[in-house]
Amino acid sequence: MSHIHLPDGVLPVWLWVAGFIGAILAGVILSKFYKREDLSKRLPLLGMMAAAMVLGASVEIVPIAYHVNLTVISGILLGPSLIFLATLVVNVILALFGHGGITVIGLNTLTLSLEGVLGYFVFHLFWRIFKKLSIAIFLATFLALFASTLSMIGVVSLGTSHYEELIHQGEGRGVFEFKLLKEKEDHQKREGAEEEVNLKRFITILLPLSFLGWLLEGVITLFIVRYIHRLRPDLLRLGGKPS
Amino acid sequence: MIQLSYLDYSAVERKSFLHRFSPRAKLAGMGLVLLGIVTLRSVPALFALYVILLLLFFLSRVPMKIFPLTFYPLIFAVLFIFISRFQIHFILLVFLKVLCGSTGVVLLLATTPYPSIFSILGRFLPSLFVVALFLTYRSIFILLNVLEETQHALYFRGGIQWRHPWRSLINISNAFGHLIIKGIDASEKMYESMVLRGFENKIHYRGD
Repeated sequence: MSHIHLPDGVLPVWLWVAGFIGAILAGVILSKFYKREDLSKRLPLLGMMAAAMVLGASVEIVPIAYHVNLTVISGILLGPSLIFLATLVVNVILALFGHGGITVIGLNTLTLSLEGVLGYFVFHLFWRIFKKLSIAIFLATFLALFASTLSMIGVVSLGTSHYEELIHQGEGRGVFEFKLLKEKEDHQKREGAEEEVNLKRFITILLPLSFLGWLLEGVITLFIVRYIHRLRPDLLRLGGKPS
Repeated sequence: MIQLSYLDYSAVERKSFLHRFSPRAKLAGMGLVLLGIVTLRSVPALFALYVILLLLFFLSRVPMKIFPLTFYPLIFAVLFIFISRFQIHFILLVFLKVLCGSTGVVLLLATTPYPSIFSILGRFLPSLFVVALFLTYRSIFILLNVLEETQHALYFRGGIQWRHPWRSLINISNAFGHLIIKGIDASEKMYESMVLRGFENKIHYRGD
């Protein structure tokens, strides 16, 4: 759920423009770490992991409005610099299917690549500490998803004043006046504009659902990594023997 | 996502006035739709835009099988209605923006072959990004083929049974692992054959 599933036009312009600028800057900085030859060899892997992420995102677990991201496993397989390019590609393709707006591609890329980069580093940290694949991968996935969901909530909360503005659009502005429930809106407006946008309710609903999703994705990633480790341990680029 | 191959088939094989339009014009049109979604803040105006997109959708004879794809983003949009105090205006505004965006992009993809879209993007985006985009798109089709085989293997191993959630979770994860490994093998082979044909990290399109 760390992916921002907001359509175009809901977030304020300054926020999504800042997202694109941030993504471009991150892309330029991370591209300095690419080794030309290594990049050519890893392009098929990048394409495949990005495709797996797109497929994962299309399998919707409806009761909890969650889909697996597979960003952490992709981050581990691709490394912190290539995961950024992979998440950018994934977000462009997902946006082309209407899954998240086109204008939020920059913000989504930053959020998802944070998940992948964090997953990579946390996994390697726990691997060094515990030397146990299952613990390292589960904790890395869980913590990375937790961090990226918090960053997504942060991004959504930055647009609060803009949502209020959108809520009040029905009051005489726009191409045609929209008067449905206008009286109710007037009454609510008197109660205070800050009550209109209820981020607390949004977070209260989102976090428990996300928690279930983090657990589920943690377990799924754990089994996937164990399966890959059995058949192609070279892909994980780990030193030492796991238990 | 299974409908992706059908979407691609529709873009290449169908012949309607929208299919015959130049990809550049269609991308510009999509840009205008996007501009409308970002700037319009009135429900009737957004509704009018949605009706226009629906008309184009049906006039361009895009298969109806693809139409439900445009509703998919609504599942997630539902979460964002909790931000407002269930105000009808805000909910309608968000839902219409979602529907306009998804209908627009699905219409674009269903009437324009993806190499045409990528070739235009390649003119102003870094070639590395366009190559990654192309390889990912190609890999989705490879994965869908592997997925078909994996589904049979999954069925023989007990598949997904709600009475045995843990076993099912292991089966799903193993299937994903199998999908990734088989997919990597297949994409490496594809890449090797591309290199044999002279590929040097840049895709050239007809007319380049």
